[in-house]
Amino acid sequence: MQTDVSISSPGRRATPRRLGLGAILAGLAIVAAACGTNDGSTAPGGGASQAPGGGASQAPDASPAGPVEGKLTVWAMGNEGVKLKVLADAFMAENPGTTVNVTPVDWGQAVAKLQTAIAGGQTPDVSQMGTDMMGQFAETSALETVPASFDSKAFFESAWKTNIVGDTVFGVPWYVETRMLYYRTDIAEKAGITAAPATMDELMTMAKAMQSKGGAKWGISLGTKNWQEYLPFLWSNGGAVMDDAGTFQLNSPQAVEALTMYSSYFNEGLSPTTVPEGFDITPAFVSGTHPMFFSGPWHLGLIKEAGGAELEGKWAIAPMPKAASSTSFLGGSNLVVYKASKNKDLAWKFVQYLTDPATQVAWYAEVTDLPAVASAWDDAALKADPNVAMFGEQLKSTQAQPAISTWSELGEALNATLEKLTTGGMTPQDAADAMQADAERIGTGS
Amino acid sequence: MPAVAKATAGPTLRQNLTGWAFAAPFMILFGVFLAFPIIAAFLLSFTSFGLRDLQNPVGTSFVGLQNYIDLFSDAKFWKSLTNTLYFVVVGVPVTLAFGLLIANALNRGVTRFRTAFRVGYYLPVITSIVAIAVVWRFLLNPDVGLINMALAAAGIDGPAWLADPALAMPSIIAMAVWRNLGFAMIVFLAGMQAIPASLYEAASLDGAGRWQAFRSITVPLLRPTILFMTVITTIGYLQLFEEPFVMTAGGPLDATLSVTMYMYQQGFTFFHQGYASAIAYVLFLIVAIIAFLQFRFLRSDA
Repeated sequence: MQTDVSISSPGRRATPRRLGLGAILAGLAIVAAACGTNDGSTAPGGGASQAPGGGASQAPDASPAGPVEGKLTVWAMGNEGVKLKVLADAFMAENPGTTVNVTPVDWGQAVAKLQTAIAGGQTPDVSQMGTDMMGQFAETSALETVPASFDSKAFFESAWKTNIVGDTVFGVPWYVETRMLYYRTDIAEKAGITAAPATMDELMTMAKAMQSKGGAKWGISLGTKNWQEYLPFLWSNGGAVMDDAGTFQLNSPQAVEALTMYSSYFNEGLSPTTVPEGFDITPAFVSGTHPMFFSGPWHLGLIKEAGGAELEGKWAIAPMPKAASSTSFLGGSNLVVYKASKNKDLAWKFVQYLTDPATQVAWYAEVTDLPAVASAWDDAALKADPNVAMFGEQLKSTQAQPAISTWSELGEALNATLEKLTTGGMTPQDAADAMQADAERIGTGS
Repeated sequence: MPAVAKATAGPTLRQNLTGWAFAAPFMILFGVFLAFPIIAAFLLSFTSFGLRDLQNPVGTSFVGLQNYIDLFSDAKFWKSLTNTLYFVVVGVPVTLAFGLLIANALNRGVTRFRTAFRVGYYLPVITSIVAIAVVWRFLLNPDVGLINMALAAAGIDGPAWLADPALAMPSIIAMAVWRNLGFAMIVFLAGMQAIPASLYEAASLDGAGRWQAFRSITVPLLRPTILFMTVITTIGYLQLFEEPFVMTAGGPLDATLSVTMYMYQQGFTFFHQGYASAIAYVLFLIVAIIAFLQFRFLRSDA
């Protein structure tokens, strides 16, 4: 599933890339229903007073209440790029005189294409942007500041925060994803465990039992070099990448402890240390050799598809096991408007439409993207599947990587150190110090 | 005589223009796609060109030789350089040796199915490198790969080829040799066919065996071809990129990170284009020096 251009980190992109096909008809029906009610008053914080999160600045509200006309070019990636036309058509029907052209962009080329577009002065009006790309694109000064009509409180807090670079808000959350524990209940029962692991200690006990008594080849499958899997251990243990003042905290006592926990799965032979490039966890989970792993909502569909009726009722998901807290990783995509856009009012109106709670629910039905707008989760469609509802609960306790322009480089450095820790025999203290030294050397770019 | 006088007066304006017109397509393509980027990259290597300069490239700041100085203390760059040299020092001789032996066998020994063999060995050269790398990644897979399944059938527990830092580079070398020996074979074969058969007849009358004939006639007479192939293969191998990019992503523990991969990472993942340009120029310098030395030493007594 590696689709990006980074070199040594499978799955660096903090966005789901494999999603099940949405129920198109249901989606259309909901979109149509949304069109009937959306007169602007249901937009998040529409007309509400400015409430910038954490003192981050937003542009004065300039979006007109009246009709807007003109043309928009919108770039969207992956599956969103393929399906966004459905929403664009609905938007056009609702706003006569507007034309929205959607250009699908492959995730693997997204960063390079956007950079080229910015360098050539040929940007789209609006584009999707991975939550982990915000820092580096804010650095290009090509992004417009978000107007105050968007209310930070309408979105999951950690999702909103991925848009704040320095102290300016550069984007609006579109959809989110987070990581949860997938585990085989049948193997757990065979090992004498009937409840999901609630704490980090229980996770370790469960991994050991699944391997020794449950008959699984491994206890759990953790990434040997994937910061997205390590950071939830750090956050849940009360640690942080950087403090509020912007100082890196990667070798705090909590971090050393988190690294000790993380590496113990490898040192005790519970998680494989050699993982072939392009390894696919889904068949390994279905066959039972790897009975636990952390992943995002896209694996719900993948496991159902690969496991079929035979695996039904033999697996479940659970929240991030708790130490000081149960804090998982937040990824997903935001929507940004470019400074070079000739039709910014219309651009923001389209963004507002996409982040309207009703549109968010329709979009979930279409592509199963999880809504970034918290109130969308009150809809019955998102409560129907208990697993999806659990993701909604976990989303309330999430964090994302800091929105700094150097993140791609720092993330790569963290991966390299994690690999030394998990497979190269480095001690947790040395790994923590190496991470901190790398972070201080690379800096925040500002 | 008037005709002669006209001929010695040099080309007319019209002839000049015609000449330039014929040369223009090449000159324009060369200028736009080679000369300009080469000069631009050279200038970039003295700047800190990065993301914030995207919209205003001329506003970037000059940092003098700082990128080059930083490179010298960059452990990852040295690691990538060591990896690349390892690939070249082992890969080039092995590729050429196999190419030479197979060419010799096809030239002098094997008579039946000669064309089939030539095609078979040459086929990998014209196949997409990415497709080959993907297939080899499957072959080398420790659990379901064909190689380890064959080893298992023989009772051997095969290693995790690409996931073991000590075996990853040898695995990539093996694949590169298999892919590239076809080209060496074709070139050597062409060279061998220019060697007069009478020399071999004379040698065999004097009692020389096959090995002696190969050593004393084929190799010395092929010297210019071997030199050419050594230089071409070395330059190609120094630019190792696709194989590790597809098969290992530079891992494990950076064991297969090559200079060009590191350059790509710096330039396009981290967008340190100034620094990446400096890496490109250091690599260029290394290629130039090695090519010069090879010409110097391999040609001396020819």
